Amino acid sequence: MVDIQHIRNFAIIAHIDHGKSTLADRFLEVTGAVQRRDLKAQMLDDMELERERGITIKARAVTIYHEVGGQRYELNLIDTPGHVDFNYEVQKSLQACEGSILLVDSSQGVEAQTVANAYLAIEADHALVPVLNKTDLPHSHADEVCEEIENVLGIDATEAHRVSAKTGAGVPAVLDSVVAEIPPPEGDPDAPLQALIFDAVYDEYRGIIVYLRVFNGTIRKGDSIRMMGTGKVYEAIEIGRFAPKMAKDLSLAAGEVGYFISNIKRLGDVVIGDTMTHHKAPAAGMLPGYAPPQHMVYADFYPTSPGDYELLREALETLSLSDSSFSFAPVTSDALGFGFRCGFLGLLHMEIVQQRLEREHDLDMIQTAPTVTYRIRMADGTEQDISSPGALPSPDKFEQVLEPIARVGMLVPSEYIGAMMQIANDHRGVFVRQEYLSPTRVQLVYDVPMAEIIYDFYDKLKSATRGYGTLNYEITGYHADELVKLRILVNNKEVDALSSIVHRSQAETRGRAAIKKLRKEIPRHMFEVRLQAAVGSRIIAREAIAALRKDVTAKCYGGDITRKRKLLEKQKAGKRRMRQIGNVDIPQKAFLAVLSGDEKKS
Amino acid sequence: MDLCEPGRARPAAGTPLYVHLPFCAAKCTYCDFYSVPAEGHDLGGMVDAILEEARQRAPERPRTVFLGGGTPSLLPPALLRRLLDGLDALTGFRASAEEVTAECNPESLDLERARVLLEGGVRRVSIGFQSLRPEVLESFGRVHDVDQAFAAFAAARRAGVPWVSVDLIFAAPGLEPEAWREDLARVLALGPDHLSAYALIFEPGTRFETERRRGRIQPVPEEDELAMFHATRELAGGAGLDAYEVSNFAKNGAQCLHNVNYWRNGPYLGLGPSAASHVDGVRSVNVRSVEGYRARLGADRDPVTSSERLEPLARLGETWWLGLRLAAGLEPEAALAVAGLTGPDPAAETVARLVGEGLLERAEGRVRLTERGLPLADAVGREFLGLAAPAAP
Repeated sequence: MVDIQHIRNFAIIAHIDHGKSTLADRFLEVTGAVQRRDLKAQMLDDMELERERGITIKARAVTIYHEVGGQRYELNLIDTPGHVDFNYEVQKSLQACEGSILLVDSSQGVEAQTVANAYLAIEADHALVPVLNKTDLPHSHADEVCEEIENVLGIDATEAHRVSAKTGAGVPAVLDSVVAEIPPPEGDPDAPLQALIFDAVYDEYRGIIVYLRVFNGTIRKGDSIRMMGTGKVYEAIEIGRFAPKMAKDLSLAAGEVGYFISNIKRLGDVVIGDTMTHHKAPAAGMLPGYAPPQHMVYADFYPTSPGDYELLREALETLSLSDSSFSFAPVTSDALGFGFRCGFLGLLHMEIVQQRLEREHDLDMIQTAPTVTYRIRMADGTEQDISSPGALPSPDKFEQVLEPIARVGMLVPSEYIGAMMQIANDHRGVFVRQEYLSPTRVQLVYDVPMAEIIYDFYDKLKSATRGYGTLNYEITGYHADELVKLRILVNNKEVDALSSIVHRSQAETRGRAAIKKLRKEIPRHMFEVRLQAAVGSRIIAREAIAALRKDVTAKCYGGDITRKRKLLEKQKAGKRRMRQIGNVDIPQKAFLAVLSGDEKKS
Repeated sequence: MDLCEPGRARPAAGTPLYVHLPFCAAKCTYCDFYSVPAEGHDLGGMVDAILEEARQRAPERPRTVFLGGGTPSLLPPALLRRLLDGLDALTGFRASAEEVTAECNPESLDLERARVLLEGGVRRVSIGFQSLRPEVLESFGRVHDVDQAFAAFAAARRAGVPWVSVDLIFAAPGLEPEAWREDLARVLALGPDHLSAYALIFEPGTRFETERRRGRIQPVPEEDELAMFHATRELAGGAGLDAYEVSNFAKNGAQCLHNVNYWRNGPYLGLGPSAASHVDGVRSVNVRSVEGYRARLGADRDPVTSSERLEPLARLGETWWLGLRLAAGLEPEAALAVAGLTGPDPAAETVARLVGEGLLERAEGRVRLTERGLPLADAVGREFLGLAAPAAP
């Protein structure tokens, strides 16, 4: 058993694309955990989607060994996601470690996620090892970036490592610092067992693989283990560590990180943040767990063909085994029938869940435009939260609508301050403060309604700053405002799945934009299709899709019949992928496009 | 749908016969039929191969015969004689057929060819005028001019061909409705017995379609195309040629029986490369290659490369889609019979709905497209594909 003094548990925190996964790959290589020829880029990103998009979605863990001064140390690296949506995953990982590498791309500088993640690490009492990456690039400006780190985060960066994760230059010295700067875990291998479940993934063949960090005591193969939160008891059929593939072991002692398998099949039997202990000799109390994830964005998923409802449910259940941070609950829509309202950490998270459902489960779905949770103050003084515009009670039943407000930190090159302020104002933002990180980079802080952020705020920020601006946000509370329901009518029939809640001042512009997009998305029919946007009974925008007047094959003889019939069948199949509302066929895309401000989607 | 053993069984006597002659002087830019340039090909060898296929499976005493292509009139007179004599020896079509058509192009239909055709048993020619505009003919890649088209028509008449039809294409890029009316009037003034007038289709794989995708040519506005579609019906009707199908017009009694059989979803046998057949509920297609076709027949191998048998419900849908192209429409009971179905009609609900929407109408026990439904024939026909069996009562 490794002496706890020779263990280090650490995470790498970074803004997206600053080279976190590449650095992790290099660690695996320099410590001999993986031979270079076996190294796929982004070794720790298992998911097809992660590798494809070059992002980390799920936290991963790996054990590596590194020698300093003749002593062999066990280093447990827990990889963390870098995107704003996955703060929750970052927090979970940080709680399982004592320190973090703060990785900053020296050609980009400190970004919004660098700041957000560094604060999370400081809150978790982490020792920080600053590392500047990509110092081999010609436009690296390491000295200025060091200044930014000191100015913004108040961390001494004079000793920051300067590395190239790509070439491996400077990387071994970083591991020396991990050993020197990050304290060993505290804990007693002989005390009653307390192990934190910091993640879990579902494996089709082996059931749930629990990622755990032992804080006290020792877990051995064959032990009878109780989950303190759920009270469920399991046998430790297999335990081991990630090296980086799963390697069986006989025990994991205080301070160590590894996995636990017990043929757990059922959803909900494993709670991330729960404490594992021995059934026979339990610990006195639980470790501090995790706050449940905060869902920022909601959207509804409906099966394209109503018969696939059960398939969709099964797919969501399976997916929730490997992603504990989204929620789903049955929902019914007049227009779309039975489906599920799903809660997400953010827009990227939503997109990833949707893509995983389609890829891993081969499902055709209709997704509604994302919305936030509104708080309704009822006439009788009670409050209720709604996550769908359709659930808004009739106007006489409530007093006020409150919406979630996010404090938004934007890091932008100073020449874009004016443009960003304009965008923030257009999105009902309230100025909080402005700070200079360096003469050329500014942090702007605004309070912005969350609904505006999911509408198109991020896209606008990116395009206004030519991609250089970055953004972070956290929900700070609810604020009452003049919010109204923007109703969308198709041939005089209100379609709940197309309606939204908007600020009164924006109703007209948003309504007109929505109708315009619908007009583009809905194909022509054999009759005229009328589209209207309304607030209450007042029509604020209208468009019509002219009836199709010509759809006939001029030439159809004996040699053409099979081919032409197949063409018509293909067109018909395309129609089946749409949803029929009244007698109007509405394509899937329309539901998502109509309420998003993103012009690309229209 | 399933793949069946390509059968070489001879279809029932009387089954309509189609013969595909895949040679053209040049490929037209809009054409997606199988054809190759005649130059450098062994035309005689092809005639022999077709006769070999006819020997194997052509029906006896076909009711109608149609020589299509390609350009049948491109064959030298001696080869035309060999083909028609050979077919007659094998099937006896000269005595049995009510209608024998040959497709002709202006550059190859002269008095001599017309006489050879007539002597060989052909009673009807269809001449591909396509357009009366030199710039349009050029854009179509046609190798004849307008004068040649009129000369070919005159030759057919002088030779005494009983039925002469003209093929035209409207809605060519840049064509104004007024220009189309003028052209059509000039053609109608010739007094053809039959007219086929097609809106230009941008078929996948054609040069026209590629040009359109690249934005080099613009289809005419929908309004204009629709105006030309209606003008055609009006002018042809005024000249005594009634619309009996979406794109076909005929003097009384001059409808093309061979083609009407296609729209009634009837059986037929096709000979030649790429020719399609519909026999005993099986649709099949011959190999789409001149060399492949000759090689297969030379080696006594089946020229059919793909075939499908439709389920009764799919056949019913197909029967409706095709049948609604005819101005007379179809009888629901006849459609059921073609599909081999009895009992409640799976199409009844769809018919009722479309009648309600004003796209179909009932008349004398038949169902047909309304004036408004006619230019939407595909959209209406699509509604009949994928029919479900009616719920048990």
